[in-house]
Amino acid sequence: MFSVEGTIIALVITSLLSLGSVPILVWMERRVAAFIQDRLGPNRSNIFGFRIGGIVQSFADMLKLIVKEEFYPKHIKFKFYYMLAPAIVFGASYLTFAVIPFSNTLLTNKGLSVVQLLPIELGVLWFIALAGLSVYGIILAGWSSHNKYGLLGSLRATSQIISYEVSMGLAIVSMLLTYGTIYLNGMVDFQSQLLWGFLPAWGIIMQPIAGIIFIITAFAETNRAPFDVAEGESEIVAGYHTEYSAMKFALFFMGEYVAMAASSALIVTMFFGGYHLPWLDSPTLYDNPKIVLSVIGVVLIPLIIGMIYWMRRSNKISGINEPQRARETKILTILLALILIGSEIGILFLLNAEMTNQIASYIATAIQILTFVVKVFMMNFVFIWVRWTLPRFRYDQIQTLGWNILLPLAIANVIITAIVIVVF
Amino acid sequence: MGIKIVKRHGDTLMEKLYLPAIVAGMATTFKHFSKNISNPTQIPTTQYPHQQPSDITDRYRGQHRLTKRADDTIACVACFMCATACPANCIFIEATEREDGVDEKMPKKFNIDLLECIYCGYCVEACPCDAIRMDSGIFSLIGKNREDFVITKEKLLATHGAFGKENSRAR
Repeated sequence: MFSVEGTIIALVITSLLSLGSVPILVWMERRVAAFIQDRLGPNRSNIFGFRIGGIVQSFADMLKLIVKEEFYPKHIKFKFYYMLAPAIVFGASYLTFAVIPFSNTLLTNKGLSVVQLLPIELGVLWFIALAGLSVYGIILAGWSSHNKYGLLGSLRATSQIISYEVSMGLAIVSMLLTYGTIYLNGMVDFQSQLLWGFLPAWGIIMQPIAGIIFIITAFAETNRAPFDVAEGESEIVAGYHTEYSAMKFALFFMGEYVAMAASSALIVTMFFGGYHLPWLDSPTLYDNPKIVLSVIGVVLIPLIIGMIYWMRRSNKISGINEPQRARETKILTILLALILIGSEIGILFLLNAEMTNQIASYIATAIQILTFVVKVFMMNFVFIWVRWTLPRFRYDQIQTLGWNILLPLAIANVIITAIVIVVF
Repeated sequence: MGIKIVKRHGDTLMEKLYLPAIVAGMATTFKHFSKNISNPTQIPTTQYPHQQPSDITDRYRGQHRLTKRADDTIACVACFMCATACPANCIFIEATEREDGVDEKMPKKFNIDLLECIYCGYCVEACPCDAIRMDSGIFSLIGKNREDFVITKEKLLATHGAFGKENSRAR
């Protein structure tokens, strides 16, 4: 028996993680970049004096992109392809999320339910297919915008895709050999085991070389630094999206962040244990929901108090009294304290309630989804961190890296993995 | 002078591996990030409307002003030196006879179009009477239309110097 609750939860989480997280990721990108470069980043735009660390800026940017004039350059011959390209980029990035499992199967009153948008057996293959497709959107955009910089950008994207896709595929092959399945749920279940009794059997620990190759190629696949040659704003204006404006540009822009989130999700699923907390597999979680809940309740107190302390200390300009910010600090303090009290009361209520299998399942699902989201955001941070550390590769350097270094390494890794699996 | 051979980098195995260097670079950026996120108030950015710039010295070329003599009358003698020296042609002077016996000539109108002005300071250099100066320390101009930025003689006289030395030092 199959019920839809899990699919609905997965749909909501997918939308939140892909579309909903775009403003957060843009904000994160700008603030992290600023902090890495000893700047402050956007912290001015506010709604009634609430700036919430500057996150309002992203919503202002989005609003601006939505209401901006739709402009079509006159020289474009094939308007259909011109319009299709951003849709492909965005749609493909969005759909890659569909196969990511967000938690273990959920036990509802109608039966078991998989928390996954598309519980298909294809798993990783779906990701490879759609992630590869998003590059076609970029190529199409550069070609149909009939602009030399656009064309150069799409040429670069093409030269990039032929240099990393093979290594990416081979890195995934070695992971498939290790896990023995292409179903992502199966991979995650495999990773809940322990290696030699104490190490979590995460992909990155069992297959560090495949992990590194996959992470590098995932950077290339999302068109982010150091592999953002297709954009190359210092060299070819803006690359493939030179001729795009308003919402059509925003689709590319959002597509990049959705692709980043999707890649992070897949990296987390394949190499960092997916939705599992380390040393805490699903059966243990189902059996002891009360212990886990009380641990969460205890951890939450210093976490939120620390956050209040940090917020009060940093939400001001040293030496200057600013009434607007002081008011915001006060209200945010009250809000955070209310969140803390509310969640503690909720946890106490759950601890006193009778623990049926169904409630335990819901609690476990919530904890696993939370774990997954935290892991994805940590991986997103790594993406951002790398972007603001490394300079852009030249596109012949990318090809050298892809063909001369990553490909032999990936092939060797596949062969060694296969030998190890056959022998043992 | 011999030929200096610069050592080429990137040949050793450690450098060819890329990853150690990348990790070192990421450690550096993370050090900055963690320092700044733990205490954002110590970031040296000037948060402008709340924090005013502290580096405006008496050599800063701000908005112009006309100085006065020791007897509190205008120091300008309408010699047109500043208007002649002005590369942006933004000074408009109309001269008139001076009736109070202090001097022979004075400006009837002395307009500076601050939107045209490039703040080069040539007018200050050219003035033989130390009558025009840019030591007001005013760096931000606000107006609702173009006419607001044409600053008149009265406004120029009413602007004070920000660094003492109020009067003309010419005589």
